[in-house]
Amino acid sequence: MKKNLSIIAVIIIFSASVFAQGFKVKASGEQTFNFQDKAGRNQTTFFSTTPLEDITGLSGDVKGRVTFNVNDVKTLKGKVIVSVASIKTGIDLRDEHMRDAGWLDAAKFPEISFEIKKVSDVKVVADNKITAKVTGNYTMKGVTKEVIADATLTYLDESETTKSRAPGDLLGVQAKFNVKLSNYDVNNKVVGQKVSEDIEVSVNIVGSNAQ
Amino acid sequence: MNKNQKYVLSIGTILIVLALIYWYSQGAEVFTKTQVLVDKTTDLDKMLGVENKQYVDRFVFGLFPSGMASILELASAASMSGIIILLVGILSYLLRNKRKETK
Repeated sequence: MKKNLSIIAVIIIFSASVFAQGFKVKASGEQTFNFQDKAGRNQTTFFSTTPLEDITGLSGDVKGRVTFNVNDVKTLKGKVIVSVASIKTGIDLRDEHMRDAGWLDAAKFPEISFEIKKVSDVKVVADNKITAKVTGNYTMKGVTKEVIADATLTYLDESETTKSRAPGDLLGVQAKFNVKLSNYDVNNKVVGQKVSEDIEVSVNIVGSNAQ
Repeated sequence: MNKNQKYVLSIGTILIVLALIYWYSQGAEVFTKTQVLVDKTTDLDKMLGVENKQYVDRFVFGLFPSGMASILELASAASMSGIIILLVGILSYLLRNKRKETK
């Protein structure tokens, strides 16, 4: 009986080590990365393309944190938040319109958020680089819908180079997904003409695990 | 149309064409911009697999004005053409042949 239990335990441990896909870096176990960056280098872009004009909305006010076991990226949990008022499009008047009630209604819904629910299709590209599909709840203008982002995570151990950005190990996250404006109560005459109905959202953020 | 009116009309046409050539040389943007996106990705950003773009203050002459908050936002090929057409009209009126009244 004892022998059987030992065999089962060994199989479980072996399976876990084989199927767990994570970084091969100095750190191990659960790590929390904070994405606060006062210099505005963490950013989210909202890209719209129409025959009339391409528009890139950019926010440098991105915050949030993720926690995961470095040896198993599927354990990734966390939330990233963008302030609506910080989104710039290169034209002040357009920025004002975007914050209006007919668009993103910044006064009533000051934040756009993405909360991670599940990580799948994990592929280890290098010891410190992983690609995956990240499923999460995307909330904009008070409406929450599930979206799937294509994400690339890059882990850098703390070094003299990384210290120039922030202390601790750094986690770079690049993710992309599409949202349909009408799914988030953004309906007006301009959508589909000057602004595309489908917006490509890109996230470029770097977090640190320093406390 | 007298000689002076033809002269004013020619100058106006040339100015409008120059405005359109300048607009085209600036990238043929639909709307005037006072800020443009600039890539500021560093070597460390590349190591981390992320991009860094920032809006910086730079004037780009567009086809249409982007706002009325400043002269820069108002400046565009369309608004310049409108002003030129208005001036040509006023000058043409002022330079018209005045009829001599005969009894």
